Amino acid sequence: MIAIQTEGLTKRFDNGRGCSDVSITVREGEAFGFLGPNGAGKSTCVKMLVGLIFPTEGRASLFGEPIGSLSARRLLGYLPELYRYQEWLTGEEVVRLHAQMCRLPRAEADRRVPQLLERVGIGLRSRDRVKNYSKGMQQRLGLACALVGDPRILFLDEPSSAMDPIGRSEVRELLHELKAQGKTIFLNSHLMEDVESLCNRVALLNNGRILQQGTVEEVLQQRPVWRLRVGGFAPALLDWLRGETGLAFRLAASEPDGSAVLEAELENEEQAGWLHALILDQGMTLYESTRAKTRLEEWFVTELSGKSHRGEKA
Amino acid sequence: MTIILRMTWKELLRKRVLLLTLFMTVLFLIAYWFIASAIGGEVHRYGLSPDDPQLLVERYSRGMFIISLGFFFGAFVVAFLSIFSSSSVISGEAELGVMQALMPRPLPRWQWYAGRWLGYVSFGMGYALVLYAAILGVAGMHAGVPRDMGTLFIAYLLFASVVPLLVSVSMLGSGFLSAIGNGVFMTMLYGGGWLGGMIDKLAAQFASLQETVGGSLATISGLLSLAMPADGLQRTMMDRLFNMDALRQFTGIQVDSLMSMLGVGSAPSPAFLWYALAYTIVAFVLGIWRFQRKDL
Repeated sequence: MIAIQTEGLTKRFDNGRGCSDVSITVREGEAFGFLGPNGAGKSTCVKMLVGLIFPTEGRASLFGEPIGSLSARRLLGYLPELYRYQEWLTGEEVVRLHAQMCRLPRAEADRRVPQLLERVGIGLRSRDRVKNYSKGMQQRLGLACALVGDPRILFLDEPSSAMDPIGRSEVRELLHELKAQGKTIFLNSHLMEDVESLCNRVALLNNGRILQQGTVEEVLQQRPVWRLRVGGFAPALLDWLRGETGLAFRLAASEPDGSAVLEAELENEEQAGWLHALILDQGMTLYESTRAKTRLEEWFVTELSGKSHRGEKA
Repeated sequence: MTIILRMTWKELLRKRVLLLTLFMTVLFLIAYWFIASAIGGEVHRYGLSPDDPQLLVERYSRGMFIISLGFFFGAFVVAFLSIFSSSSVISGEAELGVMQALMPRPLPRWQWYAGRWLGYVSFGMGYALVLYAAILGVAGMHAGVPRDMGTLFIAYLLFASVVPLLVSVSMLGSGFLSAIGNGVFMTMLYGGGWLGGMIDKLAAQFASLQETVGGSLATISGLLSLAMPADGLQRTMMDRLFNMDALRQFTGIQVDSLMSMLGVGSAPSPAFLWYALAYTIVAFVLGIWRFQRKDL
């Protein structure tokens, strides 16, 4: 079943920002990573999906219910990026308030609220006023609020940005647990490691438009990169290889003794054998040849390098 | 809606708005008690017999003056409490990020808005009742005050009616302006309405003004009172409380210029009440309409 579907979702603000023509599909039980540099329009998209702001054009639905409708909002839990809870309430009161707004029966709330506070790691401080919470604790509280209605879809906007490494690890563990329970997770994060380990699919947004989307495997393996450690290398050979093969080569490292590490971006894996032969034909020694494993972070940087983006300097 | 209403009350209690307001009110009432004692006590020095009807009239006149003074202050307190408790409710909470966590919940926006409105209005009207009873109580200890329950009830409703009026406009403004901007806007708007009332009172007192620029002043005063009818409601309240028509007819009590400046004897027409009611309803409905469409 399709959990989230957007078609040409667009929001234009007076300052020219927002997002344009965002079309994505997220299936039930999937974890979807929504990535992009600062100011790309990720939070704008999420705010439209949870009903905080209204689209200028396009449409979207959550489990078939139009975004912003009460029926759609009953299905979601949301942890915003920039938020603050009522600092004059205690942590427990905040979660209870959210439970009431989700129409959770009182008995269910009595059982669920302490459990959740314990699960997110603020059980011992649940009777303290929120004004005494650190940013990390508020983020844990936000997770408890997002989960209190037992939502089918979770929208998490930078869920662990203010946490220490232990907190981040706990959140990662919690998200894996939720995914295993079949929850649909829409994760907006700059922590690529978390996205890579959790998400089935990702989309990359820049200047409000989707540059790429697909499964994590697809986006990471679009261009197989081979790393070749060679001996007897001379700079002229690099140009020769480029000319002869038409492939993108990069000198990753070089030593005075003539050894070097080359990176070649192949069109397909079959070209690897041909490349090896060419290197040997030119009198170089091939010590090692491995397929470079691209991390999501590298992919992110590569995809955006050279492109202008409105959040910060490229 | 009741969830939001309870939350609003809890907010006002926890933020110590109520405590601070009550504390300042007690200080005012102590000062007011001494003022009332000074003004009311002077009647006994006239040497009139306790059975003399003139004493009754004098006591009532003094009572009117004491009460007018009390409500002159009370109207400001109730107005500013209404304005500042609600002036940042939408933009302020959106700026802080409180809205972002709450509004995706399955609660219609109009219910959230109405819950907040009810919370502020019930708080303000409750406070207005306490202040109203205290002012009359202190005045009653030192001078004659109206005792008819019907009159007192209607006068209370008029006194407290500025609360829904100001909360409705303040919440509407909060849907368009920043928290600080709306606070300034509301203070200026209320001040404008008050100025309109003052112009009206001044023009009535000074014949020379009335003869030369009376028409222009009436237009300016009318427009200002239409822009913010709070002061007109206050003057209507004073008029109903003292039942001015009957008093003029039976006792010969004359409203002097000082009491007139405090709002006695210069009530707007009955149609003004309908205007103020319509103004409140339109502001409330527009506020909901705006909030339903606002990007948060």
